Amino acid sequence: MDVPSLSTQLNPLVILPELIVLTALVVVVVCDLIVGRTASRWTPYVAVSGLLVSVVQLGFQWNNDHAIAFLGGFNGDALSIVFRGIIALSAAVTILISIRYIEQSGTALSEFISILLAATLGGMFLSGADELVTIFIALETLSISSYLLTGYMKRDPRSNEAALKYLLIGASSSAIFLYGISLLYGLSGGATKLVDIGTALTLSTGLGDPSIGIVIALVFVIAGVAFKISAVPFHQWTPDVYEGSPTPVVAFLSVGSKAAGFALAIRLLVTAFPVVWEQWRFVFVALAILSMILGNVVALAQTSMKRLLAYSSIGQAGFVMLGLIAGTEQGYASMIFYLFIYLFMNLGGFTCVILFSLRTGTDQISEYAGLYQKDPLLTLGLSLCLLSLGGIPPMAGFFAKLYLFWVGWQAGLYGLVLLALVTSVISIYYYIRVIKMMVVKEPQEMSAAVLHYPVVQWNLPGMRPLQVSLISMVLITSLAGILSNPLLSLANASVSNTPLLQSFIKASTVSVSITDVDSHL
Amino acid sequence: MNLAQGVQVVSLGLLSLMVLGAALGVVLANNIVYSAFLLGGVFISISGLYILLNAGFVATAQILIYVGAVNVLILFAIMLVNKREDFAPISSAWIRKGVTGLVCIGLFALLSTMVLTTPWLIASIPASGEQATLLIGEHLFSDFLLPFELASVLLLIALIGAIILARRELIVNEPASGVDAGLMLPERPREGVAVGSDP
Repeated sequence: MDVPSLSTQLNPLVILPELIVLTALVVVVVCDLIVGRTASRWTPYVAVSGLLVSVVQLGFQWNNDHAIAFLGGFNGDALSIVFRGIIALSAAVTILISIRYIEQSGTALSEFISILLAATLGGMFLSGADELVTIFIALETLSISSYLLTGYMKRDPRSNEAALKYLLIGASSSAIFLYGISLLYGLSGGATKLVDIGTALTLSTGLGDPSIGIVIALVFVIAGVAFKISAVPFHQWTPDVYEGSPTPVVAFLSVGSKAAGFALAIRLLVTAFPVVWEQWRFVFVALAILSMILGNVVALAQTSMKRLLAYSSIGQAGFVMLGLIAGTEQGYASMIFYLFIYLFMNLGGFTCVILFSLRTGTDQISEYAGLYQKDPLLTLGLSLCLLSLGGIPPMAGFFAKLYLFWVGWQAGLYGLVLLALVTSVISIYYYIRVIKMMVVKEPQEMSAAVLHYPVVQWNLPGMRPLQVSLISMVLITSLAGILSNPLLSLANASVSNTPLLQSFIKASTVSVSITDVDSHL
Repeated sequence: MNLAQGVQVVSLGLLSLMVLGAALGVVLANNIVYSAFLLGGVFISISGLYILLNAGFVATAQILIYVGAVNVLILFAIMLVNKREDFAPISSAWIRKGVTGLVCIGLFALLSTMVLTTPWLIASIPASGEQATLLIGEHLFSDFLLPFELASVLLLIALIGAIILARRELIVNEPASGVDAGLMLPERPREGVAVGSDP
């Protein structure tokens, strides 16, 4: 094989966005080594601009006809572009909100940013990986960077505990996932590309029932994925890790890492497991029911804001799974739309939590009492983001939820949609409880933390990026609902431009109509 | 059965016995140092299985990485943490052991049923034998190029992370109590990166 034909077959330009992120990572590491500590004044902005350039580059690749790179190892189709965009955006916002937090905690900023960029890289490769080895290495890059980020505050015992728990549970879930994909390798007679595995499994199953090996491989693979998206019963790590780790890391874990998990779930299940479509749909129905109920009900009893957001993110993952279960074109589009909106509202919420804990040093919900009198902007931002997370009408979260529930109803998931409605009403209660704490309390009922609230100074170093991200996130959260058309058409186009989803949707609707005919006969 | 097949069967049996025995020893030994050395035995026996399968490269890699790196690292970790501590016996430990045993037996039964009932696809490509190392190299630079390169990012970040976790932070407020100053690693002081005023 000569060099030019090899480079056409490798088609390396598809991963140009990742290469830009990688360049930013190398620049941050090397410049921090050469220049010394003063480099941390500008390295965050190098990283953020690298991530934004990468998002722009993703936009240029939208109508790429040669999306398959590395001889089938990486697929840069529209679906992967959307997910890579979500992950890169969430990392950019996370860096903006972490500058002040890391500086104030007295740890090194450049190393934090380089680990975060590596996690982003892992997540972006995971969204497009089309082959078992690439999937596993990308997953491990994301996971190991996440463990390191979780334990970054090494003088804080809570952070150490969170990192250790995350590492142990994550390592065992990785092992289970690896066992599952090794079974896939054996079942398909030595194929590692997802497409080949899907074909081999379909051929070997024929018209009969799938063998027990396929079902076990499916269950093990779903266990690995469900750990990443923290679906109940694979959620035990979430509250402790969210409470212990640095708040910007939680923001990234709840948006970027989760989006990568959903991207992996869609690609793996749709490409490799079309044979056991009924079975994985059933497993996800169970996961969604458990996540929605447990996430939203346990959140009612939380006293710490970070734990509240942890349980709420478990519940939100349950809602997103509705789109996956529906399995229609609009199902996937509504998932992507919801993840986009969730990116803005959740990161906005975390920006406010970080601001509050920077100024008062606490995360307790009761300490938010009477915040309205001292800091109206923060109160307004947090209230809007929480209302959006709960799904109150004019906010973006309402439209995202509406689309998701409507799609679920269209697909005939009546029970699930009713359950989702009930649990989202429960979720509104605990979100409003925080808002009530901030707004309604009389001046004499103020908490001690708010009573000694420092004067708001935006000109301190590292505060401007926080302010920028707070205002932009809150603006997008409040306006994206009414002006949701660009995002909606982006989500729809990403599904209709993705060949693998199209063929899967066609196949599954055909099989459903066949079973309908059978039942009528 | 000719002589070669006989040798193969006997060595397979011996290696399997070694793997099982050493693995049981890892779990059951009370002294953690014995467990660590027995783990090395497990890895070496598994590499023997690879040699039986004509996979010389994988066998070498197994010994180099698992015994030479992972197992030695485990031994180092055990020796660095040489804290003698007598653990108080847990009152109802047998319940936990029983439940763990039940779960493990159940999983084993499930997996062995799966292995026996599933119609496995056997790859039609003939075994590469002596050419295996060459083929692995070709794969690493063609269709597995992306994971190969991504692994370097993974290693880089693991390296950076290990340094961050292990390096001594300069603690301004607390005097180093009980630690000889000669043992402290010197660290470049933070050049007053605009931290601003603490609240």
